[in-house]
Amino acid sequence: MTRKQKRLALLAGVFAVAAGGVALVLTALGQSVAYFYTPADLSRLAAPPSGLIRLGGLVEAGSVEYAEGGAAVRFVVIDEFARTPVFYRGPLPDLFREGQGVVTQGRLVDGRLEASEVLAKHDETYMPKEVADALKEQGRWKEEGGAYKP
Amino acid sequence: MVTEYANPEKFSRLARPFIPALGAMSVLLFTAGLYYALFNSPADYQQGETVRIMYVHVPAAWMALFCYAAMAGASAAGFIWKHPLADVAAKATAPIGAVFTALALVTGSLWGKPMWGTWWAWDARLTSVLILFFLYLGYIAIWETVEERARAARLAAIVAIVGAVNLPVVKFSVDWWNSLHQPASVFRAGGPTIHESMRPPLFFMAFAYMTTYGALLLVSMRAELAARRLARLETLATEKISGVRPE
Amino acid sequence: MSGLVAIVARDVVLALRAGGGAVQAALFFALAVLVFALAVGPDLDTLAELAAPVLWTAALLSTLVSLDRIFQADFEDGSLDVMIETADLLELVVLAKAVAHWLTSALPLIIAAPVLALLLNLPQEGYGPLLLSLAIGTPALSLIGALGAALTLGMRRAGALVSILVGPLYAPTLIFGVGAAKAGLEGAPSYGPSLLLLGAVTLFAAALAPLAGAAAIRFNMR
Repeated sequence: MTRKQKRLALLAGVFAVAAGGVALVLTALGQSVAYFYTPADLSRLAAPPSGLIRLGGLVEAGSVEYAEGGAAVRFVVIDEFARTPVFYRGPLPDLFREGQGVVTQGRLVDGRLEASEVLAKHDETYMPKEVADALKEQGRWKEEGGAYKP
Repeated sequence: MVTEYANPEKFSRLARPFIPALGAMSVLLFTAGLYYALFNSPADYQQGETVRIMYVHVPAAWMALFCYAAMAGASAAGFIWKHPLADVAAKATAPIGAVFTALALVTGSLWGKPMWGTWWAWDARLTSVLILFFLYLGYIAIWETVEERARAARLAAIVAIVGAVNLPVVKFSVDWWNSLHQPASVFRAGGPTIHESMRPPLFFMAFAYMTTYGALLLVSMRAELAARRLARLETLATEKISGVRPE
Repeated sequence: MSGLVAIVARDVVLALRAGGGAVQAALFFALAVLVFALAVGPDLDTLAELAAPVLWTAALLSTLVSLDRIFQADFEDGSLDVMIETADLLELVVLAKAVAHWLTSALPLIIAAPVLALLLNLPQEGYGPLLLSLAIGTPALSLIGALGAALTLGMRRAGALVSILVGPLYAPTLIFGVGAAKAGLEGAPSYGPSLLLLGAVTLFAAALAPLAGAAAIRFNMR
């Protein structure tokens, strides 16, 4: 081989290896490597994970119950397919409300998440309150509750 | 046209009037942007007044990516075409980009505490931006460590180009992974999801950052070129005095 | 081709000699794990949860401290000059050097990992995922490390600089490596995708590091 052919062969090799990498990424992204599980993910598992997990989804409307004089809260995280009850003792973020997207972290005990942390997930929509109210009045409001779309 | 301005002396002369012009624009845009952001824009229906942090945070994050892309692009140009100003531009961009990245990280943290309920989360977006910050620092460290300028330029260029693989990760992290960070609101398929009353402060701030970057870039490039000229003159002077060419 | 095999074989033989690096790498690895375990304390449940992250971190650190071995000796005794002169493709020399580094620094540590995992109380079902993730991920550490070593070739105080340069580039390997090891242990659905992404990182490193490393060596040796 001449020097030029060798360099071309090298470049071809580099591209082949990189293409292999891209193929692996695409295969992996078909499945999800999640910052959090969704309730549906959990329901599909053969055995519930034993360690600390994160659970993401929407706070089910009407499910929020305060306990211990407001120091603790019980609610249900849902997605389109499944629901997981959560118990949490501690301060809640400002954005926490029913219908809102949340990411909670804790351990599963008998199908209930004993959360040590509750984070509110915000969506990519920004608008003034008046606009949101007007949209609701006109019936054009999409009740998404945060960015979370299962 | 590009090579015409490759002459450092000529570039320095031509760049000079742009510095006060860009500086004045940046002051005006910051005034307008901050006025809109802090006083003349509505509170968000969910976030309330905290949304105002977004006007500082989002354009800073754009600039963090833009500056890295500019740095890597200039590094590649210096690598391929040996354009004498490319390395100077890349070197001057690095600290500016690092500051924008730090600003995005800090303001994001300030927003995250009241909204998410935490200062920091190791989700894909936050982590990849933190890595971006360290890539800037690595790039700067090469220039600081390697004394010989041409060698530093080439090595730093390699670091900048290799690190550029992180840029798509930062941009698309929120789409690829279920992250805590919200997806893009402006540069997204299907149009922006920011209400039009909230866009003016955002764009004023973005242009304010751009002009600031432009002004600082030119100042820094001229300073670097002057420093190089000084180093050359010192070498010449030494030669003249001692009569030998110093190695 | 035979020249590249010779480079790998030579480095492996040198590392296996008394005072070579292979034993040192495993010892450093064991020491790092020990320090973590002492700092965490005797609680076996906590140790079990931290086993995979601790072993991965220790692997990363022991790779980092052994990077100067990749080119430094050859640079000092002039054999790197010979390689640059005689090799058709310097990129392949960098690749061979990275392979040699993996064989002498990462492989001993993968062999030592099960014993250390035992000390960290790693549950039985965690061994397979841990070793698999180390096997797939550590080549990326050697490859990216070879790039870092090439960038800092012949510099004084190269150690600190190489950490600053290589550290952020190691992040994806560490994230997906630990992610895969933990997901495999817990039987989580992200196990497969994490391994795939870890493999992708290694392939990207294999494609890019030799190119960039060879360029860096040329600039540093000029």
